[in-house]
Amino acid sequence: MIYRLWYFIRETVVSLWRNLSLTLAAILTVGISLSLVGTSLLVREGADRATAQFQEGVEFIVFMNADHTPDQDTAIRQVLDTSPAIGGYSYVDKLAAYEEFQTLFVDKPELIESVTPDVMPPSYRIVPADPDAANVAELARQFSSQPGVREVATATDAIRQIEDFSTRVSQVLLVAAVVLVAVSAMLILNTVFTAIGARREEIEVMKLVGATNWFVRIPFMLEGMIHGLIGAALAIPSLFIVENQVLSFFQESDVVPLFRGFAVPDGFVWDTSLWLLLLGGAVGMFGSAVAVTRYLDV
Amino acid sequence: MIRLESVSKVFKGDVTALRDASAEIQRGEFVFLVGPSGSGKSTFIRLLNREEVADSGRIMVAGKDLGSLSSWRVPYLRRNIGCIFQDYKLLSKKTVAENVAFGLEVIGRPRPVIKRQVPAILELVGLSRKADRTPDELSGGEQQRVSIARAFVNRPLILLADEPTGNLDPATSVGIMRLLDRINRSGTTVVMATHDRSVVDTMRRRVIELDRGVIVRDESRGVYD
Repeated sequence: MIYRLWYFIRETVVSLWRNLSLTLAAILTVGISLSLVGTSLLVREGADRATAQFQEGVEFIVFMNADHTPDQDTAIRQVLDTSPAIGGYSYVDKLAAYEEFQTLFVDKPELIESVTPDVMPPSYRIVPADPDAANVAELARQFSSQPGVREVATATDAIRQIEDFSTRVSQVLLVAAVVLVAVSAMLILNTVFTAIGARREEIEVMKLVGATNWFVRIPFMLEGMIHGLIGAALAIPSLFIVENQVLSFFQESDVVPLFRGFAVPDGFVWDTSLWLLLLGGAVGMFGSAVAVTRYLDV
Repeated sequence: MIRLESVSKVFKGDVTALRDASAEIQRGEFVFLVGPSGSGKSTFIRLLNREEVADSGRIMVAGKDLGSLSSWRVPYLRRNIGCIFQDYKLLSKKTVAENVAFGLEVIGRPRPVIKRQVPAILELVGLSRKADRTPDELSGGEQQRVSIARAFVNRPLILLADEPTGNLDPATSVGIMRLLDRINRSGTTVVMATHDRSVVDTMRRRVIELDRGVIVRDESRGVYD
């Protein structure tokens, strides 16, 4: 067994080396495309977190005082339930607010420690019947004058624009990434095909003396998988660059205070890295598997 | 060891390579296949190695029915069959020893076994002193000896030879035939397709003659024609 393993490794390395320029092209393409896949995932995750409170049509949020009375609550609910200007709403109690706070600031434990569920303001997330900006502003003004209300936060145009922008950016990145992943699979297929061509004579002899199909195939499949894995490994640093440079730029920008939440939890980049490695290996295996099944049969 | 029952093989464009061929070859026999070009000698050889599959009839090799042999078992069949060719099929970038070792390596033989068997077989074919040369540094006869070493190193039951002396001068051919004879005497069945009249007439072994895919003669201790 150990001899076979040694044989596979040796043959794979020799083949990678013999085909150096194509190998590098394949690896770089995988690296670039997986960088885009990863960036797209990070931007998507960051945007989702930053705008978590304003999703699904929620245009404004009525924060209650932490110590508001049940009567004040009932009064607000009555307006919400009866007013034709309200399309729908949901109630976020203290505990839910605290949990959301924990998720948003997962990488800032000192901030989480400074609060308890008790001090979190419960809130109503409101979907207006008419999301027009002027209408939302008018509704917000009405609610802010109600007793027990601490403040009303509206999804401003700026938030919507940035949300749209990040969605669009991540979508464009994703489309480009999918195309590039397909290109890398084809490039790997071609590289492995060339490697097979360069070793036609050896393969002929191998079959003649009774090497099994898998014995012939495995070095080529390993070759494709290595293209994918090295490419993915190259893409991983780019994730950290995106996290440290791009996302932190949003976090520190004063455009919209809410965008302090434009961050991903620490583990997310590592998780994404793992996915990229798996994806890279899979793309490599797929490309080389197509090559060996198409060009290597008895 | 080898049995053909009414075997036919037709290639694309209605080229009949073998028609209703029947023959039985016993363990340890030495058989010449003779006949003009295109008479079906190579197809005969390739059918035994399962590089081709018969259209009809039955072929038994080393106890296996090749018609019903699933493709994943073919490599295991071939480990019992050594093959040599007119063009040697050596790997030009590997040394003599590496070429022979390659045949063992790719069927998963452990390194200690390879280290033991390769020098022994090179000794047998008389190339011990050229183990580190590459094929292009060798004469045609020497290259064919390497090819025989590779085919025989795994001690196959059967050795198939397709025109092994086709590129060699008569004196060198004699040396190759002595080697094949020696291998045959060790119990290996040898089937050799050839055009080489002097080889066949000197050896006086069983001769199967093919003409346009039909077996027209099968005699023990035969001559070329």
